[in-house]
Amino acid sequence: MSRQTLPPAIPSNDLESYEQRQNRLQQAQMRRLIQSVLSHGLIILTGLFFVIPFLWMLLTAFKPDQDVSHTPPRFLPYDYKRVAVNGEMLPLYNVQTETGVKQLALIKITEGVGEFVDPAQPGTVLKYKIQQGKTRIAAPIEEISFRWQNFSDAMQRGSRPSVGASFWVYLKNSLIIAFFSIVGTLFSNTPVAYAFARIKFPGRDLLFILVLATMMLPFQVTMIPLYIMFNDILGWGDSFLPLIIPTFFANAYDVFLLRQFFRTIPEEMCDAARVDGASEWDIFTRVILPLSTPVLATITVFTFLWAWNDFTGPLLFLNSAKNFTMALGLQDFQGQHTMVWNQMMAAATVFTIPIVIAFFFAQKTFIQGIKLTGLKE
Amino acid sequence: MDELSSMLKSARQGKRQQVKWSRRTRENFVLGMIFLLPWTIGFFAFTLYPMAASLVYSFAEYHPKAPLEFVGLQNYTALFNDELFWKSLSNTVYMVIIGVPVTLLMSFFCAVLLNLKVRGQSIYRVIYFLPSIVPTVASTILWLWILNPRTGLMNTMLGAFGIDGPNWLGSPDWSKPSLILLGIWGMGGTIMVYLSGLQDVPISLMEAAELDGASWLQRLRHITIPMVSPITVFNLITGVIGMFQYFAQAYVFRGGNSLGAPLNSTLFYSIYLFQNGFLFLKMGYASAMAWVLFVIILVCTVLLLKASERFTYYAG
Repeated sequence: MSRQTLPPAIPSNDLESYEQRQNRLQQAQMRRLIQSVLSHGLIILTGLFFVIPFLWMLLTAFKPDQDVSHTPPRFLPYDYKRVAVNGEMLPLYNVQTETGVKQLALIKITEGVGEFVDPAQPGTVLKYKIQQGKTRIAAPIEEISFRWQNFSDAMQRGSRPSVGASFWVYLKNSLIIAFFSIVGTLFSNTPVAYAFARIKFPGRDLLFILVLATMMLPFQVTMIPLYIMFNDILGWGDSFLPLIIPTFFANAYDVFLLRQFFRTIPEEMCDAARVDGASEWDIFTRVILPLSTPVLATITVFTFLWAWNDFTGPLLFLNSAKNFTMALGLQDFQGQHTMVWNQMMAAATVFTIPIVIAFFFAQKTFIQGIKLTGLKE
Repeated sequence: MDELSSMLKSARQGKRQQVKWSRRTRENFVLGMIFLLPWTIGFFAFTLYPMAASLVYSFAEYHPKAPLEFVGLQNYTALFNDELFWKSLSNTVYMVIIGVPVTLLMSFFCAVLLNLKVRGQSIYRVIYFLPSIVPTVASTILWLWILNPRTGLMNTMLGAFGIDGPNWLGSPDWSKPSLILLGIWGMGGTIMVYLSGLQDVPISLMEAAELDGASWLQRLRHITIPMVSPITVFNLITGVIGMFQYFAQAYVFRGGNSLGAPLNSTLFYSIYLFQNGFLFLKMGYASAMAWVLFVIILVCTVLLLKASERFTYYAG
C-alpha cells in the first residue's frame, strides 16, 4: 500500500502498448482482490472475539447437565443417545463384548459394573465392567441435541424457590419497572425540554447549564441520602417506588436529547400557531410532540434499556427475592448455584432476548440514540 | 462547547442589565417555570437535598433511628489511614489508566475496520455492536463461565494454540485484566461513536491526500486521527468518569465469593464505598468517600479537558 507499489497513474511513455495496459489493469485488479481478502479476513478474525462468547451463551443454554462439565468443553450441546426399552428411555452405550463392539442400553451401574440390555432382546440383562484397568469397556454414545427444557427449568427455578420467587417473577418485576420508567420519562422530560427549546424566559440559559452540570454528579454522592430518604422517611423500602418515582421528575440526558431535537423543528410553525391564538401548551402538545416521534422512540428504547439493565438501583432498594428484577435475580442465582451454567445461561438468554428483539426492530433508533448521547448505559 | 460558552456569556450579560421585565417577559417566566416544574422538583428532592445531606453525613457518624453524631473531619482523616481505601483507589486507578486507554484503542481499531468499504459491512457492524446490548449482569456471568480456568472456553482455545491460560478469576494479577476484557467485549457503543466520527471525515480531504501520494497509514496518522480527536476526548472523559464509578461488573464478577475477591484485587472504589455504607453501615464514612470520589472525578475531568485543548482539532 506504500507509494512504491502503486502502478504509475499515468504511463511513463505516452504510448502504452495493449499488453502494457492489460498488465497494468490486471495488477490493479489483483491488488484490489488482495486488499478485499485482507480486509474481510481482519474483520472476521476480530469479529470472532465478539461473536464467539455470544454463541457460547446460547449454546451453553441448550446443554444437558453432564455436558456442561465435560472437559475439554465442546462447542455444540451433546446428549446421550437414548432408546426405548420396556417403556423406559435408556442411554445407549458402546460396549466391548466378546463378540466385538455392541450398542447396548444401560440400566444402572453398581460398583463399576453396568447392567446392560440389548435393545433387540429386551429380556436378558448383560453385565459388563465399565472400566477394566485403564481401558474403557463401555462408553456412552452421544449425539448433538438441544435441550429446550433448560429454559423452562431455569425460569421456574429462580434464586430462592422457598419464597416463591422464580425468574418468571423477576421478569414480571423488570417489565413493570421498565414500563413505568418509560411513562415517567416521557411525561416529565418533554415539557422541560420544550421550555428550554422554545420559551424565552430570563435565566433560561443559566438553568440549562445547571441541568447539564447535574450529569457530572456521581450517583455515589446522592446514593446514601436517597437510600435513607426512601427507606426511613418515605417508607418505600423493598418496593418499586424508589426506582420508578424519580423517573417522573426529568433527567439531564433526556432533557438534553429532547431539547436538541425540538430546536430543529422550524420556529415558524410555532409562530403560526401562536398567531392563530394557540397557547404554549397547545403548541407543545399539538405541534411539537406530534413532530417528535423519532426522538420519543429513541427515548423509549433507551429508557427500557436502562431500566432493564440497571443493577445498582435494584440492589440498593429491593430486599426480598419476590421483588427482584432480572438483573438482581440473575446475580443472586449465580451467587447461590455456582455450577448450573446451562440454566444460568438460559436465564441470561431470556434476559437478553427482549433487548436483541428491540434492537432488530429499531436498529436505526438505537444507533441514532448512541450517536446523540454517546452513552452506552 | 461553543454553544455552552456563548450561553455562559449571555447569562452573565443578562445579570448585568437588570432592566424591568416587560409583561411578556413576566408571563414567559411564569410559563417557563411551570413547564420546568418536573425537573425543579426532582432537582431539589433527588439531587440538591441528597447532595447537602451527604455532605453533612460525611462529617458525622450515622446511626439508624438516632440523631447524627458529628465528628468533624474524622471520617476524612480516617480515610488516609485506611489501607483498604488506598487499595480500592489503586485498583480503580489501574482500571482508569490501563482499562480506559486500551478500550479506546481497541474501539478505534474496530471502528476503522468497520469503516472499510467491504461487502456485508452492515452485518459486521451488527456483530460488533450486539455484545454491548447484553445486560451487564448477563455479560459478566457469561464471562465468568468463559474464563473458568478448568472448563472455560478461553483456556481451552488458548490450549489449542499451545498456550497455558492463566487462572483468570482466581489470580489477583489476572482478575482486573479479565474485567478489562469483559469491557472490551461490550464496547460496541464506543465503536459506534467512533464510527460516526470516521464517517464525518470529509472524503475530499482523503482523496486529496491520496493524490499527493499519502499512504493509508499516513492518511490515518495525519487526517483520520486528528479529525476524530474531539471524539477521542469525549470518549476518554466519559470513560474515565464511568470507570471511577465502576461497580456492577465487579460486584457480579466475584461469583459466590466475598466482595473484592480474589485478595481484594477487585475491591474497586465504588465497591468499597458500597460495602462501608450498606454492609458495615458506616454511612458517614461512605459519604466522605463519595465526596472524595466527586472531587477526584472533577479534577480529572478538568485536567483532561485542559490537556486535550492542545491535542484536539476542532473543524470549523
